[in-house]
Amino acid sequence: MSAPAPTEPAAPRGAAGTDAAPPGAGAPSGAAQERRRPWLVAAVVLAVIAAVLVSVARGLYRDGPLEPDAPTGQGAKAVVQVLGDLGVEVETKRHTADAAEDLRAGGTVLLTAPKSLSGEQLTTLAEAREEGGGRLIVLRPDFVALSYLTSGITPSGALREQTRVEAGAACGDLSHGARVLEVPDEEDALDGPASLYTATDAVASTCFEAEGGALVAESDGVLVLGSPDLLTNDGVGRADNSALALNALPASDELTWYVPSATDPQGTSSPSLVDHLPEWIGPVAAWLVLAAVLGLIALGRRPGPVVVEPLPVTVRPQELVLGRARLLQQASARDAAAAALRAAAATRLADRLGLRHESALDGLLAALAPHVEESPEQLRALLGPAPVATDRDLVRLAHDLDRLEKEIDR
Amino acid sequence: MRISFTPRAALAALLALPVIVLWPLWWVVLILLALWALVVLADALAAPAPQRIRVRREAPAQVRLGGTVPGRLLLTNTTARRARLEVRDAWNPTAGLASQHSRLDLPGQERRAIAQSFTPTRRGEHSSRQLLIGSLGPLGLARRSARVPALGRMLALHPFGARRHLPSRVQRLREIEGLAAIHQRGQGTEFDSLRDFVDGDDVRSIDWRATARRRSVVVRTWRPERDRHVLIVVDTSRTSAGRLGEATRLDSAFDAALLLTALAGQAGDRVDLLCVDRIPHVSVLGSTRTKVLHDMVAATAAVEPALVETDWERAAAAIESRTRRGSLVVLITPVEAQVLHSGLLPVAARLAKDHPLVLASVADPALEELAGGRGDLETVYRAAAAERARSERAGVSHALERVGAHVVDAPPDRAPQALADAYLSLKAAGRL
Repeated sequence: MSAPAPTEPAAPRGAAGTDAAPPGAGAPSGAAQERRRPWLVAAVVLAVIAAVLVSVARGLYRDGPLEPDAPTGQGAKAVVQVLGDLGVEVETKRHTADAAEDLRAGGTVLLTAPKSLSGEQLTTLAEAREEGGGRLIVLRPDFVALSYLTSGITPSGALREQTRVEAGAACGDLSHGARVLEVPDEEDALDGPASLYTATDAVASTCFEAEGGALVAESDGVLVLGSPDLLTNDGVGRADNSALALNALPASDELTWYVPSATDPQGTSSPSLVDHLPEWIGPVAAWLVLAAVLGLIALGRRPGPVVVEPLPVTVRPQELVLGRARLLQQASARDAAAAALRAAAATRLADRLGLRHESALDGLLAALAPHVEESPEQLRALLGPAPVATDRDLVRLAHDLDRLEKEIDR
Repeated sequence: MRISFTPRAALAALLALPVIVLWPLWWVVLILLALWALVVLADALAAPAPQRIRVRREAPAQVRLGGTVPGRLLLTNTTARRARLEVRDAWNPTAGLASQHSRLDLPGQERRAIAQSFTPTRRGEHSSRQLLIGSLGPLGLARRSARVPALGRMLALHPFGARRHLPSRVQRLREIEGLAAIHQRGQGTEFDSLRDFVDGDDVRSIDWRATARRRSVVVRTWRPERDRHVLIVVDTSRTSAGRLGEATRLDSAFDAALLLTALAGQAGDRVDLLCVDRIPHVSVLGSTRTKVLHDMVAATAAVEPALVETDWERAAAAIESRTRRGSLVVLITPVEAQVLHSGLLPVAARLAKDHPLVLASVADPALEELAGGRGDLETVYRAAAAERARSERAGVSHALERVGAHVVDAPPDRAPQALADAYLSLKAAGRL
């Protein structure tokens, strides 16, 4: 590129004012708009729309632990769908009263979250089961919940590690056709480690014994499963978990899937708002905050240092005069103020009348007398060193002096 | 060189949203962040280096305060790549550059100009401390920025608003020189010619020897001397910092000094200037008649008031060393009660013995306004205080006149003319 660069004089872009044009005439020129490319804005809009669509498409089901419609890891859509294919009608209930009604009618009820129920709700369920003789399947109840529902089973331990539990020989029907169950470790488990139970009376029986207790226990129509992970979409595929789920749940053609809900009129504890948020909300919020911070940093960038400039000093010259005026007023120095006004007026009058400034008051009064209407006494009171009694008198004196000067001017 | 990202880069970060919704995992977020940083960095590296943009400045060297001058910034792209530039020319604010920031699309191996216009609002020296060039990447996501050495300097000169009064004063000068005062006789006059006596001529100006040679009575005529020396001394101490209306007292003082300089130049006198406060700090000495006004405007452009008291003894020494006996000395300083304490009076008395001395003072118009107040009690007290101040000023100027100085005290809009008139009356009286 040895050719000399062509010179284009005065091709301003974005600079306000040229040699010929008046300043500010061509500032937002067509060139500036031409340069703005819409592709980025369009791409961002498309991305946001895509994000919204994806979230809406996935938000058509209700997500949550053991929700029968949720295809997420914590949901239970797999079990519910297979049960439906096997001819079992799965009904979702969210209120204690509805679940109790089904129990009273002799149906089978799966209670997914006994810990979120109050004592009153548990009592209602226990009474309904005793009245109707229905079957209650409870997922990982704690000691308090179990004490309401049955007296034959108590919790006796927990499985914190990922464990495979084999069905013992004494299980019988309680194994429901499964030979090995597997529960994940505490980190991957849904809401804490799996629980282990022991039987305390003769009616109760246990199966899948591990160290310190059994994973499955039954006592008088109450089947206790030690881990909700046996039924979730993530966990049902492990080992023989699916066999237990598909065989234990349907005792008849109907199964009531009871998910405790915050809208239950009998309920007292309610899950917080955060539990209902989709799981991608955290990373997306973090990314949005990050983008906002980046945007603020980019917008707040200062192009180069601040230019400092020493400005010349200026002073208000009247400060001394105003300060003296305030001092006079605070001290109510009417006589001093009157003297200054009188002296100034006398000097100007003497100038007009052609007198020497040094001439005495008498000379000025004598020279004034033929030109004004006031009597010599009045003039002496006006220009002489008569005391000024009130503030009003001082203002009046100033006006009188003005009038006298105007009279001489005429 | 620094790399920074643009707001557009933050907007582009939103493109990652669908990915995060589909795979809401924290390591995905980290990978996306790294990817974003990588793209921004790549965009910055694809931009031409700002150091390789050659800059030439065409800024005006001088501008009269109140006027507008154009300037140009010529940028040459020495690379083969197209450069999209963000240019900031960091002039100080009172230089009045219309827009410090500009954007420029500069193809490779070409040169473009950025037009600028300056409307300075402060007298004195202005400069562009830095020229910053930011070079945007092809995607506009990042920029590389660097400082480019291209210093700009500009001198904003005194507006010299009083120059509109010059023609009338020059005309008066011509009248004094040519016709009206031609027959006057005084100390500072020189012989011009002989002519016949007419009624009304001073009998003392009859040239008896010429009369003896001729039949008629002949008188000598005189004309004012030319090529006299005028020294203007401007006080730049704290009293000159007072703001009178729009400008400071010092600005009005310079206005008066410049008008006197222009007028004296027309009259054929040599003019020197001295600015004093604690020390004599700026002077224009020995300029030729044609250049003196220009030199003076340039020299006074950067002079600002200082918050110090004037040392009149030292000023007097400086004045004595720069003048001959008989030179006109013009002191431009406010006549106020305080100046008596600062030692002006004995200095003025000493100067007045050897030189015609004019003491020009710029009065405060606000004082007159205050003295006319008659509304309520407060304004009457203010009027009384203002009258007191005025009588003190009158006393000071009286004292100065008694020691032989010629005192000119006028508000800023009349001060230059008043000083010029005082000069003309001295000329007319033959004292110069």
